[in-house]
Parts: sequence; C-alpha cells; structure tokens
Amino acid sequence: MYIYLPIAEVSMHIGIIIGLGGGVGFLSGLFGVGGGFLMTPLLIFFGIPPAVAVATEANQIVASSVSGVLAHMRRGNVDFKMGGILMVGGVIGSSLGVALFSFLREIGQIDLVIQLSYVVFLGIIGMLMLSESIRTIIRSRKSGAVRGKLHQHNWLHGLPLKMRFRRSKLYISAIMPLLLGAFVGILAAIMGVGGGFIMVPAMIYLLGMPTSVVVGTSLFQIIFVTANVTLLQSIQTQTVDFVLAGLLLFGAVIGAQFGSRAGALLRGEQLRGLLALMVLGVCIKIGYDLVIQPEDLLSVELLR
Amino acid sequence: MIGYGTWLGAVRQLTLGLAVLLLAMPAMAAPSRLVADLSDSHVDITSSYHGTELILFGAYEGAPGDDLVLIVEGPATDIAQRRKEKKAGIWVNGETLVWQQAPSFYHVFATDDLAAIADKDALSKADVGPLARGLMLVAGEAQGSNGHGGGALATTGAVTAGTAAQQAGLSRNMNNNGLWQLQPALISTQQDMLFRAQLSLPSNVPTGDYLVRVLHFRDGVAISEKTTDMNIRKAGLSALIYRFAHEYSVFYGLFAIVFAVASGWLAAVAFRRG
Repeated sequence: MYIYLPIAEVSMHIGIIIGLGGGVGFLSGLFGVGGGFLMTPLLIFFGIPPAVAVATEANQIVASSVSGVLAHMRRGNVDFKMGGILMVGGVIGSSLGVALFSFLREIGQIDLVIQLSYVVFLGIIGMLMLSESIRTIIRSRKSGAVRGKLHQHNWLHGLPLKMRFRRSKLYISAIMPLLLGAFVGILAAIMGVGGGFIMVPAMIYLLGMPTSVVVGTSLFQIIFVTANVTLLQSIQTQTVDFVLAGLLLFGAVIGAQFGSRAGALLRGEQLRGLLALMVLGVCIKIGYDLVIQPEDLLSVELLR
Repeated sequence: MIGYGTWLGAVRQLTLGLAVLLLAMPAMAAPSRLVADLSDSHVDITSSYHGTELILFGAYEGAPGDDLVLIVEGPATDIAQRRKEKKAGIWVNGETLVWQQAPSFYHVFATDDLAAIADKDALSKADVGPLARGLMLVAGEAQGSNGHGGGALATTGAVTAGTAAQQAGLSRNMNNNGLWQLQPALISTQQDMLFRAQLSLPSNVPTGDYLVRVLHFRDGVAISEKTTDMNIRKAGLSALIYRFAHEYSVFYGLFAIVFAVASGWLAAVAFRRG
C-alpha cells in the first residue's frame, strides 16, 4: 500500500517507511543512540527531498527523545540544571542552524554542507569511539585497571560564571555547556539529527559529567532543540511532514524494544565498537559519493 | 434479373460512397474536424495516490498518411539547473541557471517519429516541443527553494537561449524524473478516424492546470488543432495537511511538536506495561 506524503510530495510504500523506522529503531535501542544520523541519509536515499528529510527527522526525534527520557527521569538520571543550560545554548544554536540552512539552500549548497558535516563529524566521532572501545577490550584482557582522577582539570575550569551542578557533581563555568549546547544545536539543525552522538562524548570528556547522567540529560535537552527546529522549519520552509514522522515513529518504537533486548546480550565495549563501525560506514559511504564523479553532472529542480 | 445479393452490394457501395462524400465535404470547406477528450479531466491527489493512468481519445477526419501529435503540458514553472564541478577533490554544485517559465510536465505522443511527421520549422511553428517556443535561460539564484518547489527567482545575469548541452541536459534530467517525455510514445489510430493514447501520470506529478493539445498533420503541415483542459489537484486529507502547513505554519509546527510529544509519551507508557 502506497501513501502520498503531503509535504514531501512523493508517494512511498507504507511498508518501507515503517520498516525504515523499525530498522533504525532497532539499532537505536541496541546502541542507546537516537539514530538520526542513520535515518536522515536513508530518507534522502529513498527519495525524500533533503530539506524535508532533515526537518521531518527533527520532528520524529522529539517523539523518540520524550519516549527515552521518561525512563531516565524515573531513575533520576537527568541533571535538569545542566540540561537547562545546554538547552538554552541548544535553542540559540539550532535557531542559527535553521537560518544557516535556509541561506545555504538559497545558494544551492545545502546538500554539500549536509554531506560534509556527516563526513567530518561522523568520521571524528567514529574514530574516537572505535579506538576507545579497542583500548577497553585490550585493557580488560590484561586486567588491573588504574583508578584515575574523577576528571582532568584544564584551562576550561578557569572560565568565569561558575555554577554548581549537584546531580553531575561538578562546579564549572556555565559558559562551557552553553557553547557546547549552541554548537551541537547548529549541527542538529543542519544534519537532521538530535546530536547525542556528539553531545554524549562531549559531556563525558569535555565537561567531565558522570556517565550515569549523560544519556538522560542529553535526551532531555534534545527534546527542546529538535522541537525548536521543528517549529522554525515549519514556519520558514514548511518542510516538516508529520505523516512521515508519525509512520517512522510507529516503526521505531517497536524496533527499539527489540533492540534494547538484543543490546542486553552484548558487552558495553563490544556495542560501542559495533556502533563505531556503523558510524564510520555511513561516513565512508557519504564521503565516497562526494569524491566519485556523478553519473550526470547536470541536475534540475522545479521552483514553482 | 438482378440477384438480391448484388442489389444489396450496390446499395452498400452507394451508402459507403455517400458517407465518404459527406466526410470529405466539410474537409474541403474547413481545415478538418477533430474532437478529443480525456477519460478523466480532474485528477485528485489523495493520500493513496501513487501515479495514475488516463486515456486520451478522440476522432479525426484523416486520410492515409496523415499523422497525429498529442501533447500533454503541465503548468509553467521556473526550473533551476545546476552543474556539478570538481573543487578541491569533491563534486560540488557550481553556478545555478534558471529556465524561465518552462513546462513542469510535457509528454508527447505521436503516430510516428516527429522528424518523419514534419520538418523542424513546421514543428516549431505548430509549437511542438518545449524548446520550440524559445525557453530562456537566466543566470540566477533560486530564492527560498525548499528542495521540492516553493521558491522564487532572482535574476542576476544575462538571458540566453542556453547552449545545446544545457538544453539537452534539461531534457535529459526532466525525462529521467518522469516529468517530460519528448521522444513521442507511439499511438495507433483506427481507419484514420479514431485515436487513443494512454497517459501515465507519475507519483511526483506537478499540480495545477494542464493543457492537452491534439494536432493533425497532413503532408508535413498542421492542418487542425484541438485543445482540452485537465487539472490535477491535491484532495482530501493530503490537501488539508498541505494547506494547514502552508497557511497556518506556526500552528502546524506547534501541532507537530504536540503530536510528537504525545506519541512519544504514549509509546513509553505502552511499552512499560507490556
């Protein structure tokens, strides 16, 4: 059964949409990530216009983040104060990101910037995750880990506007999470992702937050960043297709349940290693498409 | 004595002769009569739309060796044409050029190859082919385009007819996305009187008012033309959502957020119990 997507203005088989949602949902349940970095390129691959894919994926991530954050809230794994500051930065950053998105589309370079962002950030994050998980696997075989400091002190801790974050056991400048939120917000708006894959490692290694609260806090602020992207894209470009988002979500919710069960069978560093390979796979595929000569150098777009 | 059969045969011949005479008479006075119609002149794009097929049919007063050309033309639109260039090792979009007011849809049907029906000048005179009317190419920027239409055009450069390569590229790209079909699909006629063509509308068909033109060619000249209208509209729920998104975009955005929050919450609750 085909369904005509009213905003994307293409018709797609309903099984493909729910299957995409289910497949990416399974992986996001397995690895504990949002999956936007997989879904947006897949939607574009299946013929959804890039602008619609990015904006619609933001809408879907609102739903999946709400669904995910509730479990973390029950366990008390959300630092609302830190989340609030990241959110303020994120809302500012994503607003800038949407404006940048519109500008790049006008000059016809949005596809390039989306592709380059994917190659650069997935490449960096993938490499870091892969090397970290390999080191952990090797170290666990040798055993006898040395207990280090809670976190490293560096120049970042000399910045003004210091605040105490009880839940994260931190006393750091608010400027850092504000800038981090803004930076990830810009990327979220341009790449059609929640940004968890950058936010989570940055919270651990840059801010020094305990790992128990990072996922919940990241999900909490992603809700507001993606909601902001959804609203701004709706107003500026009318590219949010909530029929598509709803069908993807339906598949994703079911897929995530199976994914999280499958995830319990694997060890943490194994999961991170597999996730790193997947992230690098997407990075290489998109990078390869940029480098090889396109079949047809000319392309058209109806402006209407 | 004249046999009954022979008599009947004579009557039949006379009737046929009369019929031919009757058909031929107006053809001498006026160009030639031509009627055309569509199996459906209103196409609704609903939630279940996945392309559709229409029958274009009609009758004409033909003679052996006559040809028909059928053209289904969609609303005019600006079409941005981009060319990839290699910069710093990667392929990026170079200059954007805009074809002004080009047909968003253009499917041609004919009884023969266009070149065999008439020469270039005659085809051009009869306005056959989207490039026949002299489409103009402008260096410009597609303003506020959202990847699938909805933009305007700001011209910044000279107006040209475009090079052969640019024209060929436009035809090729539009053909590949199913919106143009310039190499005519062959149609068959019956006894130089009836014609029938099957028009396939793709799932990405542009909405708006369409014009269907039927041209009757004799000895390389268009002797008669008939036009009929068709329109393609979004309808039902998909039209409602589209209008909501475009006319009340703030509320649409808020609705999309509320919808996402509610369904996310519902999913969490449903699977906590399960």
